[in-house]
Amino acid sequence: MAVSPKDTRVRAATLAGPVGQAGTAGEALRQASLWRDAWYRYVRNKGAVIAGVVFVLLVLYCYLIPGFWKIPGIWTSLADIDPYAVEFADARQGMSLAHPLGTDRFGRDMLARTALGGQVSIQIGFAATLVILVIGIAYGSISGFVGGMVDNAMMRFLDALYGLPYLPFAIITLAIIGTINIWTMTIALSIASWFTTARIVRGQIISLKENDYVRAAKAVGARWHRILLRHLLPNTLGVLIIAVFLELPGVVLGEAFLSFIGLGISPPEASWGAMAQDGRAVYRVQPLLIVIPSVAIAMLVLCANFIADGMRDALDPRTRET
Amino acid sequence: MTKFVVRRIFWTIPVILLVILLTFVMMRQIEGNPFRTGERAVPESIQANLERKYGLNDPAYVQYFNYVKGVFTFDLGPSLVLRQRDVNDIVKEHFPESAELGGLAFLFAMAFGIPLGMIAALKANTPIDYSAMFFSNIGFAVPSFLVATLAIYYFALTWDVGVPTSGWTTWQSKILPVVSLGLGPMAYFARLTRGTMLETMQADYIRTARAKGLRWRRIVFTHTLRNSLIPVVTAAGPLLGFLITGSFVIEQIFAIPGIGRYFVSAVTGRDYSVVMGLTVLLSVIVILANMVVDILYGVLDPRTRDARA
Repeated sequence: MAVSPKDTRVRAATLAGPVGQAGTAGEALRQASLWRDAWYRYVRNKGAVIAGVVFVLLVLYCYLIPGFWKIPGIWTSLADIDPYAVEFADARQGMSLAHPLGTDRFGRDMLARTALGGQVSIQIGFAATLVILVIGIAYGSISGFVGGMVDNAMMRFLDALYGLPYLPFAIITLAIIGTINIWTMTIALSIASWFTTARIVRGQIISLKENDYVRAAKAVGARWHRILLRHLLPNTLGVLIIAVFLELPGVVLGEAFLSFIGLGISPPEASWGAMAQDGRAVYRVQPLLIVIPSVAIAMLVLCANFIADGMRDALDPRTRET
Repeated sequence: MTKFVVRRIFWTIPVILLVILLTFVMMRQIEGNPFRTGERAVPESIQANLERKYGLNDPAYVQYFNYVKGVFTFDLGPSLVLRQRDVNDIVKEHFPESAELGGLAFLFAMAFGIPLGMIAALKANTPIDYSAMFFSNIGFAVPSFLVATLAIYYFALTWDVGVPTSGWTTWQSKILPVVSLGLGPMAYFARLTRGTMLETMQADYIRTARAKGLRWRRIVFTHTLRNSLIPVVTAAGPLLGFLITGSFVIEQIFAIPGIGRYFVSAVTGRDYSVVMGLTVLLSVIVILANMVVDILYGVLDPRTRDARA
């Protein structure tokens, strides 16, 4: 990302809230010209804006739809939209007004169940991405900041692990923990996926370290943790936000794969992968059941990819030409 | 050059040792008794005998040493659940299918992805470019199990074009699995090729080639393509991991008796030596592939030799 010596002045603003849809972004906009520029560039990018809107709508759908049936008096007409309610009389329906996306073989409403599965998938996705970021930041900033032999050894270790297929290690991790739920899935999916982020953070720290304002801080006697926490890490924020949307698709797909081969979330709980596995059993008679959760996954992955691309273009205009 | 290659090859050995160690440590943390069949408890004396037979009583470092020795002599040890079989037998039996599936999917991805990316780059910012990129974005985002299921539903069942719904025997039965597995990597190749080609076309030497009046075909194929395919080569390493992950799902869907499918049943059957052997095998393949890619990259682009050695 573009970094100017002015950046330390906008530190508070960048910490308060980066490019976002919420009100906190407004705070940042007034103060931080870097983020305001980035925001304007992002908004001009039609694909990225659409992806952002669809992403927000998808998340809202997942978290609001299953809640509607819980509000008596307002959503009474949707009272039977309960993702867990088994009603064999309604089983295997196509699309209708009562069940907009049909029902599965237990008569559970697919609109509500897809939302429920989405909650699990999105929760695992963001939780695992967060874990990946935390490990990646810790590892990458130590490696980049300390430098020398330590950096060399840590990077060699990363090289060793780089490119390893994460699925076998995720499966072994789940076998070690013994139970499968959202949190163990989060650990399993992040355990072999943090290498890229660590590399990115290290690269950023190393290039930022050479900036004049860091030298100045050192010259006036700032201690190492102040330099790292105040001057270096906040300036990697842009890259980290991009990393969120770069890592998210992989984790969401990983969860889907694990659940699909029967080693992940299992019924009556739902995730998009588990629902796809469920739908796979009856794809000859009702292909909709595997199509719906898969399309939901694809939408999330596609949006995240476009958002990441848009953010990269917005935060680093130099790459924009290609 | 020789120094670079030798250094890179020797560097692989500690990497393999490290990955074996990690897998070994992880496997030892798993609870559960592989010798237990069904609900019945195994008599103590038999359990003790079995543990002695498989060397499970030795100190951890002895077990690790023996295992490493085994890996480097191509012996992955016995299966703990199937008494008469070695992990080697299982690899021999199931690996060819997986290797063929992965290899064909990789070829498919290259054969279609690179031209697609080329066309998109040459026709940049035209409807052709947009539809190619739209297609590859979709191909990258749609999970392979949906692609596979829809392919079976339409090509094998609805239109019945002569491809079976499952299996890995005739060449017809291999089409759908290969395409389903290769679609994601194909999209990846297309995006990558487009990006690097657009970048290369900005280079000064391309302008020079144009200025001196070289023919379009020569500019594209000799000057642009050759230089933009170098970064594409490096993508082969990570893509291998992608293919392995994908094959777990694809083998399940098409009932292909490969490594991925066996891995899953070994996990549920708690056959630890098989799980460990297959994990080590897949990891070593990825490490070796990374090594080959690095060396190839060094050969193709001498500038990277010092940085990557």
